[in-house]
Amino acid sequence: MSVHTVTHPSAVPATVHGRVGTPFWWALLILVGGLALPWSRQGVNVLAYDAARTGLWLLGQAWPVVTALVLAAALLFLGRQPLPSRTSGRVMLGLSTLGMALTVAQLFMRGEPFGLGAVVVFLGFLSIAGISLSYSGWLRVEPFAGAAILWLAVFIGVFILYPLGTMLATSVWVRGEFTLDVFRQTLRSPTFFLFENPWTEVSERRLAQWVGLAAGFAALAVQLVAHRRELGRHALRIAAWTLVSAACGYSLSALYTGFGALRNSVLLALSVGLVSTALGLSFALLAQRSRFPIRSLMGPFSTLSMITPPFVLGLAMIYMFGRQGLITNRLLGMNTTAFYGPLGVGVAQVLAFTPLAYLVLTGVVRSLDPAMEEAAQTLRASRWRLFHTVTWPLLRPGVANAFLLCVIESLADFGNPLILGGGVPFLPTEVFFAIEGRFNQNEAAVYGVILLFMTVGVFLLQHYWLRKASYVTVTGKPSSGHPSPLPGALEYPMVTAFVLWTLLGIMLYASVFSGSFVKLWGFNNTFTLEHYEALRTSGLGVFLDTARLAAIAAVPSALVGFLIAYVVGRLNFPGRSLLEFTSMLSFAVPGTVMGIGYVLAFNSGPLRLTGTELIIILAFVFRNMPVGIRSGLAALQQIDRSLEEASTTLRASNLTTLRRILFPLLVPAVISGLMFSFVRAMTAISQVIFLVTPSTNLATVLILSWVGHGSIGRGAALSCVLIAAMAVVVLLLNVVLHRTGRNAGRAITY
Amino acid sequence: MTERLPTGMGAPVKLEQVTKRYGSVVAVNGVSLEIPGQKMVTLLGPSGCGKTTTLRIIAGLESISAGRIFIGDREVTHQPASQRPITMVFQSYALFPHLNVFENVAYGLRNLRVSQAEIRTAVSEALALVGLAGLEGRLPSQLSGGQQQRVALARALVMRPQVLLLDEPLSNLDAKLRKQVRQELRALQQRLGITGIYVTHDQSEALAVSDVIVVMRDGVVQQVGTPEELYTRPANAFVARFIGDANLVEADVRGGQVWVKGYQVPDPPGHKAGGRRTLMIRPEAISIRPAGETAAGATGDPGAGTGLPGRVIDSFYQGMSAEYLVDTDAGQLMVIDTHLDGPVLPPGTPVTLTFAPRGMYLLPEGEGADLAAAAS
Ligand SMILES: Nc1ncnc2c1ncn2[C@@H]1O[C@H](COP(=O)(O)OP(=O)(O)OP(=O)(O)O)[C@@H](O)[C@H]1O
Ligand SMILES: [Mg+2]
Repeated sequence: MSVHTVTHPSAVPATVHGRVGTPFWWALLILVGGLALPWSRQGVNVLAYDAARTGLWLLGQAWPVVTALVLAAALLFLGRQPLPSRTSGRVMLGLSTLGMALTVAQLFMRGEPFGLGAVVVFLGFLSIAGISLSYSGWLRVEPFAGAAILWLAVFIGVFILYPLGTMLATSVWVRGEFTLDVFRQTLRSPTFFLFENPWTEVSERRLAQWVGLAAGFAALAVQLVAHRRELGRHALRIAAWTLVSAACGYSLSALYTGFGALRNSVLLALSVGLVSTALGLSFALLAQRSRFPIRSLMGPFSTLSMITPPFVLGLAMIYMFGRQGLITNRLLGMNTTAFYGPLGVGVAQVLAFTPLAYLVLTGVVRSLDPAMEEAAQTLRASRWRLFHTVTWPLLRPGVANAFLLCVIESLADFGNPLILGGGVPFLPTEVFFAIEGRFNQNEAAVYGVILLFMTVGVFLLQHYWLRKASYVTVTGKPSSGHPSPLPGALEYPMVTAFVLWTLLGIMLYASVFSGSFVKLWGFNNTFTLEHYEALRTSGLGVFLDTARLAAIAAVPSALVGFLIAYVVGRLNFPGRSLLEFTSMLSFAVPGTVMGIGYVLAFNSGPLRLTGTELIIILAFVFRNMPVGIRSGLAALQQIDRSLEEASTTLRASNLTTLRRILFPLLVPAVISGLMFSFVRAMTAISQVIFLVTPSTNLATVLILSWVGHGSIGRGAALSCVLIAAMAVVVLLLNVVLHRTGRNAGRAITY
Repeated sequence: MTERLPTGMGAPVKLEQVTKRYGSVVAVNGVSLEIPGQKMVTLLGPSGCGKTTTLRIIAGLESISAGRIFIGDREVTHQPASQRPITMVFQSYALFPHLNVFENVAYGLRNLRVSQAEIRTAVSEALALVGLAGLEGRLPSQLSGGQQQRVALARALVMRPQVLLLDEPLSNLDAKLRKQVRQELRALQQRLGITGIYVTHDQSEALAVSDVIVVMRDGVVQQVGTPEELYTRPANAFVARFIGDANLVEADVRGGQVWVKGYQVPDPPGHKAGGRRTLMIRPEAISIRPAGETAAGATGDPGAGTGLPGRVIDSFYQGMSAEYLVDTDAGQLMVIDTHLDGPVLPPGTPVTLTFAPRGMYLLPEGEGADLAAAAS
């Protein structure tokens, strides 16, 4: 073991001399793509080749094309050095920025929708700009990271902020003029909200004032009694509570007595949020602290609710509780439409969102350390005091979180109100009807803006208020001690609720299943396969198309999501928090709003995408990206940063670290991110319902339109196919994750 | 940017007025340091004093708020970590869990695009060097803590860095293994001629492995020196107390003579400008005898017969030696009687203390007065 034998002195530096820099390759790509591919197009096929629109053809006529390609040639020359100086980085940055500007200018001058060539050229210049930002020393990150940041910024700007901005603009710009008329008209229309109802004798406004006053006084009284010892110190708090209670009383009364989409959506969201959270909390507590086998039952239900298109439960509700419903008509002999409207929508949503609340709350309930409760008990706390002073304060942030999540989901849900709404207006459906029924884009935009502001408001509340209030600590320390069992008085009602909920769920799914096998539910219940046979002519093709688009979209969704998670979670650069904020914000954008934004933003000019498959893919990507971000962030949190630092000190670039260290460790998360994106895209409806055309139809939209036109059986059949296919996907995913998870688990837990 | 990696010549490291702030926290405050090449240098200090931060600044893992950093004669202030001629052994080892031992060690060489054949020889030599030959195929999870530590070391050494950074590399090992590994580490560093920068808060570890120790406190360097210099000539009261045990007493310096409460101390080394000063005395350098007895063999000494009177408060029998806590006019002093040749003096015994010049040091002016006060 002699020392001087360790001689591999030929250790070559990281960047091998004689290799050309990355900008060179990008510039080459620009030149080749810019010359050979069409800069614009006529039809809806983004990939179409058109010799008369290639750069080669345009050389003689369009000066921006010529200049851009000359710039690319210059960059080809400059980018050859593997390690350019700061100055040359700055020059390259200038040239590439100019190149991007010229590309955009060319598109606008031509006025036609963009073609593949322009995309390649633009992204090429963008990459060079990012790389040179790093070379120039202005952005203290590696070239790869610089390019990634610019790509993400442009994508988020173009495909999230721009559509939302367009929607905002459309709500106040009518035929080129700024006006608040549409807002005013919409807000005043009874469809939106009717406060004073002329057909009732009482004045709703007066009533609301009384209720508000009463609520204020009640709150004041309670607060005065509670703080009677130190009135002075709590004066501000008391005043705030009084005012808030009065305002809440007033608004709730106004909403309750009023009419319209605002009222329906808000009341629905609040009640669905309350019920789902209560159920989710009960089930989570049961799963943790009762011998009742909740966990094994909740698992499949969470999965089912994830792979079910959002409106299928609505469809099932019709089977069970509709006019010809099995229960309402057959068993009870009623001919009722009570379940069309808020009640039916509410039940369907509670069924759909309870698993969500359950998932959020199991984490919280599980992290309650039993040792803490034992500690409280040794300090002579009674059971009620224990709950009041320890358990509840710890649960509260999680409960609020679950509640707000369910509120957002309910506000944004589109499918159930559409199927079960029974003509009662809700905010998301009004967006749809404004466009598809009343052909009024401006009004649709107004509804979209209102919906967006509400969900984003709730989201911000959740994000800032709760993040601070969260006590849940993930120590990873196995907690000893046994959680105390639930008191019987709590346990039995909870179990009953669970059994009822499960039965209802099973019944609904079973009804969709059997509904797909009978001629016409309620009228002619003879067994038939005709619905499935009918699928072969019309449904199956659409289903496969949907699967294809969803699969294509899954890759960029997961990729962009993980890239954002990486950039936000691991890199440090100016604008990071802005990027983080916007990408988080996209969690809260309802699909309907995204859809209307896309319709308005991409229907003309160089960015025209209407009618293409690309716009559907993009809608999938940017709607499902949050799933990728979330799982990316969660997975990154599990990886000790010193691994990356070790890699860095061993001469690895960020890209190498990402590729050789992070990626292999993230594989399970990436796989599940891919699958979830795929499943979500397959079951999506709200963001794409505006975007489909007869030639680019999607399974969910087709089901919805069949149900709308009375072909319920066929809709049920396609729903069953969809659910079954997704179940297979999720099962496969579990198998794959189990496989990789075993290896990874063995490797990681050391 | 990166040049050819050197073959075994550890480079000196220089920090110039380096400051690192985290918001309002100043983790490293205007640190200037010259770390000689091919030496083992320890950053030593209490928890939170900025050792790790300093190390990470040298590695390039933290950006700095102000200052400059040199490795060899090149400035690396703006070089990213991946281009500095350093490698690091992390406290958690940071082995890549999905790569086996061979691939972990080969990782850095692959980033340097070394040929496959060279990688194979270099890795097996590095593994042999740390005594892990034969374990190439194992995953980190299949290794013991000590073996993981060696893999981390081999992974860093195989790169033949100019500077090897170690952040409390032994803290996850048990006490016995720690002693063994630190000796091996020391031997390796000397044989390979690398500059080692070693972070620890354990002073015995620091004394055992270092050529030079840098003592830090609250983000500021207190003193740089060899273990012996730090022990015998601490720059201030903090260092005096941090390296070994120390008594700090107030002394008057008049005309080149040093007085502690009426006892003229035999000519201590240190800074002898006149005035009120702080005198450090190691407990072993104090001789203790019952009051009235004359020191044996002290005849002819001008200070013989005099001494600092006191009374034993507490005494501890230690076998070959005895430890006393003695109350004197100059405060409570800790005394270690290393050649115990009689019975241990019981508490309450009036005693006379005399100081030996070898274990004393007059601290520079203004250093440590606060600490002397804080200590009592
Ligand atoms: N990321 C950070 N953000 C804010 N403050 C930090 C951060 N990292 C370190 N600090 C602070 O900087 C100071 C120095 O930290 P450092 O980790 O260098 O201490 P240390 O000397 O290594 O301590 P220890 O021996 O406990 O490891 C501490 O006060 C610490 O709280
Ligand atoms: Mg430390």
